[in-house]
Amino acid sequence: MVEVPKSGVLFHDVNMCAGCGVCEVMCSLYHEGVVGPALARSHIVRHPFAAKHDHDVCQQCSSPSCYFACPLKDKALCVDGTTGTTYISEDECTGCGICIDACPFDPRRIKINAEKNVAFKCDLCKGRDGGPICVEYCPFQALRLISKDKRR
Amino acid sequence: MAKSFGWAGKVLQVDLSSERVNKVQTADYRPEEFIGGLGLNAEIFWELGCPKVDAFDPGNPLIISAGPLTGTYGPFGRGEVCAISPQCYPDELFTYSGFGGMFPAEMKHAGYDGIVILGKAEQPVYLSIHDEDVEIKDADDLWGVETFEAQKTLMTDEPEASVLVIGPAGENLSRIAVILNETKFAAGQGGFGGVMGSKNLKAIAVRGTGVVAVAKPDEVLELTRTIMEESKKGDVLRLFFRTPYMAPQETKDVFARRYFKKHYGCYGCPLQCHSVHYIPGIGLSGVSCANWLWAPKFSIDPKEIWEANVLSQRLGINTFEGIIGLPFLLALSLEAGILTRKEIEKDIGLPTPKWLGGTATNHEFLTVLLHKIANGESPYAEGAARFSEYFGKKLVSGEKLVDLYGELYTAHGYAFHHVDNLGSALHWATDTRDPIDSCHDYKNTLAPKEQFQAVMEHFGLPPYDNYQIVDLSKTVYEGAERVTAWVQDNQCLKNSLPVCEFWSMITSFYNPPEMDLRVFESRLLSAVTGLDIAVDKIAKAGERIWNLRRAITVKRENRTRENDTLNEPYFKKAITCYAGSATGLVNGPIDKAQFEALKDRYYTLRGWDVNTGWPTRTKLEELGLKNVADELASLGKLP
Repeated sequence: MVEVPKSGVLFHDVNMCAGCGVCEVMCSLYHEGVVGPALARSHIVRHPFAAKHDHDVCQQCSSPSCYFACPLKDKALCVDGTTGTTYISEDECTGCGICIDACPFDPRRIKINAEKNVAFKCDLCKGRDGGPICVEYCPFQALRLISKDKRR
Repeated sequence: MAKSFGWAGKVLQVDLSSERVNKVQTADYRPEEFIGGLGLNAEIFWELGCPKVDAFDPGNPLIISAGPLTGTYGPFGRGEVCAISPQCYPDELFTYSGFGGMFPAEMKHAGYDGIVILGKAEQPVYLSIHDEDVEIKDADDLWGVETFEAQKTLMTDEPEASVLVIGPAGENLSRIAVILNETKFAAGQGGFGGVMGSKNLKAIAVRGTGVVAVAKPDEVLELTRTIMEESKKGDVLRLFFRTPYMAPQETKDVFARRYFKKHYGCYGCPLQCHSVHYIPGIGLSGVSCANWLWAPKFSIDPKEIWEANVLSQRLGINTFEGIIGLPFLLALSLEAGILTRKEIEKDIGLPTPKWLGGTATNHEFLTVLLHKIANGESPYAEGAARFSEYFGKKLVSGEKLVDLYGELYTAHGYAFHHVDNLGSALHWATDTRDPIDSCHDYKNTLAPKEQFQAVMEHFGLPPYDNYQIVDLSKTVYEGAERVTAWVQDNQCLKNSLPVCEFWSMITSFYNPPEMDLRVFESRLLSAVTGLDIAVDKIAKAGERIWNLRRAITVKRENRTRENDTLNEPYFKKAITCYAGSATGLVNGPIDKAQFEALKDRYYTLRGWDVNTGWPTRTKLEELGLKNVADELASLGKLP
């Protein structure tokens, strides 16, 4: 079995999150050039009458089922050898959806971009200076990047 | 059809009488000219012919729009409701009310810039919108249900829907009923909840799974950095409104330490200027500025302050009238000897708490008052103006009540709001409602005077001292008209893009020349829509929208120069302004002759006819409103 290096992960502080959706807006703007939760890689499920909001995003599993399931492993669904972050290469992905079925979370943390016919998910803004854009723009520091060393 | 950037692309029209659903291209309403929100709504109303019907007539169109910036990152999450307003007094006028929350962005995600509701359903219904699918559904089981519960029920079927809802107050045609989203975001002024109720429309539930396209994402991304930096100035505001700011420190501390849950605000906005509190036994709700004003005049007890707010929201009542205006009117009437405690109890039918000279608890008072409003029991439900008129006639001692009302509410709104200057007095006199939601620009009390002055200079406006009424002997009102016109155009623009007032108050966020909001808006709007919308073009849009609104009130409401005035007491004496308690700000007396001269200069500056106050053909055509000029001419209303 391939050894997958440990990755950092997004942490969502439910007590701080105002459910404002800034993370969704910035994510979709940065990655897809549009605004709206439908094409954001993280998703806020708001509960306005309890003032507690859930945040669904890829958990960067240490044994990523999506990666092992991908028929184009290491081309479409890849693991960054240095950071351990799993990411999808848009150019190679065929949109078959097998990775989505493999995702152990409910709701699934990988979605399909119907227009491009590719799967997409959080890659912690791979290659972006300053790290994940949602972390940078969150007004209440409710989103934090837990580094791979500090991750339990 | 070309791809739409910024604008979602469609306006949804639903006729509840014929159950017909129609989708119109937003492009048909010239959105580059009218932007969105207030401007788009005014254009839609004009195209519908400005119907001369009563507010509760099925023919009154209820128009709800977002703007091209709604859904993007920043203080742009608001929407605008327009209709003929049952709250306007003495005549029902076409006016507007903004609201924040999640609904406007969700509406755009579903593909709509606006929703127009026409007609009246036979039975209680709600409108269910899921992207392209639009259905009028039975709401029998929701009728009579309070706002929070009704939303929760609808969200059981569609967990991620955003809902606009009315409470019992709207169902029972109160003139001070709101349309609410979640716990706090209300289109409050105007009484539009009653309009929705008159249509038998309990709620609009929208779920959108689409996105808003932006023309130049890289440029928008670059501009978000400025928005983020500027928004940090809002921390002060956010903390200020977190607790009942007029109350003693002790009360504020209890809210901050024990009951505060978290901050709260509109979709995509970094300010999150509202907050959520929870008190066991009373409940959880959002809160901001005006919701707190029950304190300290009537109570400093946290539970009573909170009950006043939560009960108003649950029943769907405008807090400005329900827990501020009406109680104030009663308290001041008692203090002035206009009403006696006995009259308040026997004739008006309200238990009197300590501040009304009695022994009832505030809980008892609030429960009776707010439920009577919600049950539509006249005259409470009619709002403070009609309440005064009713009891003014009914009670011998109550004749002076109308005068007192005239002091509390000037022209078209709450008097405290146009505290201390002529510019705002003129604005209030020429608008169709209390315009404070987008006009804090007048209040230099919110910022150091030097900063205020720098802004005035930057925009070529006269020194502030020229138009404030601090020195009562001062009769030089030079330049006030220029300030008024500038703020009015700006107000129209803010409510159309939309840009939230709390982010764009010149007193808080403008720091020209480093930060000129109009330049920024022009860059952002151009990057989002892909159109080249220069600074002068954006300013022109504000002026165009103000002129269209004027044309609407001239056409529909026979507005003339005569109607552009303040309530009489303002010309007669100095009036102390109240907000929670007397603020010490004194308004008036305003010299009537000077005020009329000010109006002359205002109409001239606007390019309107001085005798009638009507827009001229030259001005309307200059603004691209030839069709409006032609229509007014055919009615004999073009000077």
